[in-house]
Amino acid sequence: MSTNGVYFLVSVGLFLAVLIAIAGLDYIRRRRSPQESWEGLMRRLISVDRARVAKIAMDFIVASHQAGSGNNDDGELEPEDIFGLIGGLKGLEVLEKNSQVLIDLACYLQSSYPEALAIAEQLRQSAREIEFHVGRLRGAAQNGSLEVNFPFYGQPVIATYYRMTRQLLALYEEAKVPMLADLERAL
Amino acid sequence: MHLTGLDRFLWAATFLGHLVLLFVLWKRDRAKLFPFFTALVSTNIFRTIALYVVMHLGTKDNYFEVYWSLTVLDTVLQLCIAYEMASHVFRPIGVWAPDMRKSFSWLLGLSFIAAGGLSWLASPPTRTIVLAVVIKTNLFVAAWMSELFVGMMALSRRVRRPWKTHVAAIAKGFGVYSIVCVVIEAGHTYFGVLQGSELYTAWSHLRIAVYLGCVVYWMFALWRDAPPSRTLTEKMRAQLLSLDSKVEYDLQTLRARREL
Repeated sequence: MSTNGVYFLVSVGLFLAVLIAIAGLDYIRRRRSPQESWEGLMRRLISVDRARVAKIAMDFIVASHQAGSGNNDDGELEPEDIFGLIGGLKGLEVLEKNSQVLIDLACYLQSSYPEALAIAEQLRQSAREIEFHVGRLRGAAQNGSLEVNFPFYGQPVIATYYRMTRQLLALYEEAKVPMLADLERAL
Repeated sequence: MHLTGLDRFLWAATFLGHLVLLFVLWKRDRAKLFPFFTALVSTNIFRTIALYVVMHLGTKDNYFEVYWSLTVLDTVLQLCIAYEMASHVFRPIGVWAPDMRKSFSWLLGLSFIAAGGLSWLASPPTRTIVLAVVIKTNLFVAAWMSELFVGMMALSRRVRRPWKTHVAAIAKGFGVYSIVCVVIEAGHTYFGVLQGSELYTAWSHLRIAVYLGCVVYWMFALWRDAPPSRTLTEKMRAQLLSLDSKVEYDLQTLRARREL
């Protein structure tokens, strides 16, 4: 057998092994959770202090609105207040995880209410935004500059998450589905 | 060209399978959803008829010209189907999300390079350069298609995009078929066609048999309806009514504060 032939066979073997492993893993994971139940989704939502999230988000929204009207005043909350209220980077990571569950909740509704598709798409965009900002903050934490960067990325993350929860609640309300009660409690 | 009984059986079965699949696509209204897939099935029906006629009325050269021309068309259509599946999964409301476009471009680029690398390593022992190029191209196409279908499935799970039942069935079929094709084309490449045409024919029979299996799978999968929608319980409806007003109050408060 020539050296070239050996290289070729090894390459094909590796290629097939990787491809089959990816396909197999994907198949197993899909079978394990074909369609997550409502209860399962609710269990995945990590409890957050809704009032605190709302307070930080509203501060950001009002400040953004004022900035749009030519008034450059910052919000009432100081960066250290926000850091403390949300629980620092760990708190934001919880919101990041929850944002993925929010997408799944929109997808859950999609099977009985196809109009949910557009909102699910918006939620995906917002979740990617959160993922991006939290990623930046993780990098900042490794460099020891978390506190400097937190005001720039932290509050927008919380405001985006809050907007996602409101969008989802509005969607469930519009779809007239009873699971809204559970969702309202969880969010 | 001498055809064995098995050759004739596989020809007839594939032709019949494609006819039934086309009927399923038309009858269950799936053709509008999957135009490229329907085009591929129709092309395969036309190909079987065309090759049958050329084999009986034309020369050997005519046969190979028609065969390879239609194989090129078949490959282009398979690529179009990969795009069609990606569109169904990654842009369900008709617009590519910017991040998805980037991820999909990465998938296309990396899979192209990997398939190119694999076919570059191949050096089939053939009598002519043309045959070597044909075998290398077939290997490249099979590797690329298998990577695209498997990659799309993995990517969709990573970005949490659900697969609709019929889209998943078509993609799974092509994924399995493409992986088997990689094995077969690797066999062609390694053994070439010098060690007797019997081995080459056996590989070809295996490929057609696997494809036939996929056609049968698509027939059943595309005939069936997607899973029914979930139903709501009365208890859940009561919970909704009791909290409807509370949520409305929340939303009004939010809107009012936004307007400050």
